Amino acid sequence: MSRAYGILAEFDSADGVVAAIRAARAAGYTRLDAYSPFPLREAADLLEQRTLIVPVIAVTAGLVGAAIQYYAQYWMNAVDYPINVGGRPLHAWPAFLPAAFIVGILWASAASLIGMLALNRLPRLHHPLFDAPGFERASQDRFFLCIASDDPKFDRAETIRFLERMNAGRVQEVAA
Amino acid sequence: MTETDREAPAGIIADIPLALSFDWRWKLAIAFAGALVLLLVFGMAQPVLFGIGVWGANVPYVWGFDLVNYVWWIGIANGASLFAAILVIRRHDLRTSINRFAEGVALFAVICAGIFPIMHLGRPWLFYWTFPYPATFEVWPQFRSTLTWDFWAISTHVIVTTLLWYTGLIPDLATLRDRSRSLRSKTVFGLFALGWRGSVRHWAYHQTAYRIVAALVLPLILIMQSTVAFEFATTLVPAWHDTRKPLHFVVTGIASGLATVLFIAIMLRRGLSLERYIDDEDIELMAKLLLAASLVIAIIYLEEAFTSVLSGPLAQETLLARLFDQFAGAYWAAILLIVVAPQVLWFERARSSLLVCALASASVLVGVWLDRFSIVIGGMQGDYLPSVSGTYLPTFPEWALLGGTLGLFAGFLLLFVRFLPVISMFETRHAEHGDGS
Repeated sequence: MSRAYGILAEFDSADGVVAAIRAARAAGYTRLDAYSPFPLREAADLLEQRTLIVPVIAVTAGLVGAAIQYYAQYWMNAVDYPINVGGRPLHAWPAFLPAAFIVGILWASAASLIGMLALNRLPRLHHPLFDAPGFERASQDRFFLCIASDDPKFDRAETIRFLERMNAGRVQEVAA
Repeated sequence: MTETDREAPAGIIADIPLALSFDWRWKLAIAFAGALVLLLVFGMAQPVLFGIGVWGANVPYVWGFDLVNYVWWIGIANGASLFAAILVIRRHDLRTSINRFAEGVALFAVICAGIFPIMHLGRPWLFYWTFPYPATFEVWPQFRSTLTWDFWAISTHVIVTTLLWYTGLIPDLATLRDRSRSLRSKTVFGLFALGWRGSVRHWAYHQTAYRIVAALVLPLILIMQSTVAFEFATTLVPAWHDTRKPLHFVVTGIASGLATVLFIAIMLRRGLSLERYIDDEDIELMAKLLLAASLVIAIIYLEEAFTSVLSGPLAQETLLARLFDQFAGAYWAAILLIVVAPQVLWFERARSSLLVCALASASVLVGVWLDRFSIVIGGMQGDYLPSVSGTYLPTFPEWALLGGTLGLFAGFLLLFVRFLPVISMFETRHAEHGDGS
């Protein structure tokens, strides 16, 4: 094994992995990630994972989408191709609103869901962690903590010893 | 908690899509649904080949089954979507068992709904003309027409529901990938799981985005259902030209969505032995919600009569025509099926019987369909034309479209049940972990 991706420790309870994250943060490790079969808000908070960017993306995309839709309707019906229908106003703003609103929601929804994937760097079909024996349980009933090898405080032997002290089930080195 | 208990949430639900074969009942059902889809092909081919003259619609009954069924399906789709979104936003426990297939129901129903306005166009192969693309004729769609609202609303609903449903599925697809024994299912589930590895950082983004979109679905659905109603209200037909229409459509739409979700919940529970996930409490809660929805519809019906009485002679005349003229049967049967029949759910014994709950929800579904029939067909009896003759009678191609979309819906649902987890596994684990967040 030439270069390691990191050291992976397995836990059989959510409390176990949360306690381990807390201890690792206290010990000064910074390049941490935890893996869980369901959303673990406590762990995300400990890792200082901020998600404010998602609503910002949603609001921005929604406003831009609604503005484009409204302007497109105005331009097409009042400027580029005006048709006089019984003298009714060409810029019929009430009739333009439903589509503008709906398309704004379309942009906001698509941007926040696709943006979520982009923020998570997904799709990424392969990842070094998938080579770790037992990691398939991360999507079922096991919890994992990984300390990455690019952590400034990373020291192979020392990190393994540290994780073993955390009541982890199995501690293994993951190849890059 | 023992080892087997902890295994179970992923276990039973995941074993269904991973099973190598399914029993004969599923095969029989999918064969029946397939036959109905062939009927749909027939129903769609008729107006394409011969024009919409094959339908019974004619002046003054210019809207026939195409619009009745469209409004019915879109109400189911919107009702189911709205229900699912509210459960997510309220972080209600019911979402664990209901949400996945409620979103599926919404998606399949909106696909069925989308077929009708396209066929209604008369020349359905030109439906893309409603999209503003730079055409060689250098003309643009007329956005002051309500027809274009439908285009944006239905396509948005399809895209948003698909994305939301798929996003919720990603972590469960990863579970299926990791539990697959055959290389083929591992590859297929693996591709669609997009390499999900359950990082808590990913979960944080995932949950935030999911909840934001659920919150966005609420106004989308209300506007969309109102838009459908406005398409009626903006016409000059006296029975429709009315600002209360959106309220009527939203309220009845929610009831039909709820009824569908309850009906499918009972089917899934019986068919797949999911008693542990869709428990008695879930069914009872949905039965109570259906009862509440039915009471709201009772008020809406009273309000409709009341407003018509206040609105002047023409509105009174059209209401009387709907109540006592040739399509009166649809009006009174709708009241019987939507308002009266579900009152049985006041009794606890009725709510605890799966059969009664299934019958009550089927009754509301049929009732709402009759309500649509009474509005669309019964509403067009009164017109400004000095003289009208003839009546509306749906023809076989129209029935084929209705039966065909029912088959398409059932077919989608059966495939979904066969190949995907019908209940969110990660939400189940989350709930069993006891952390409400």
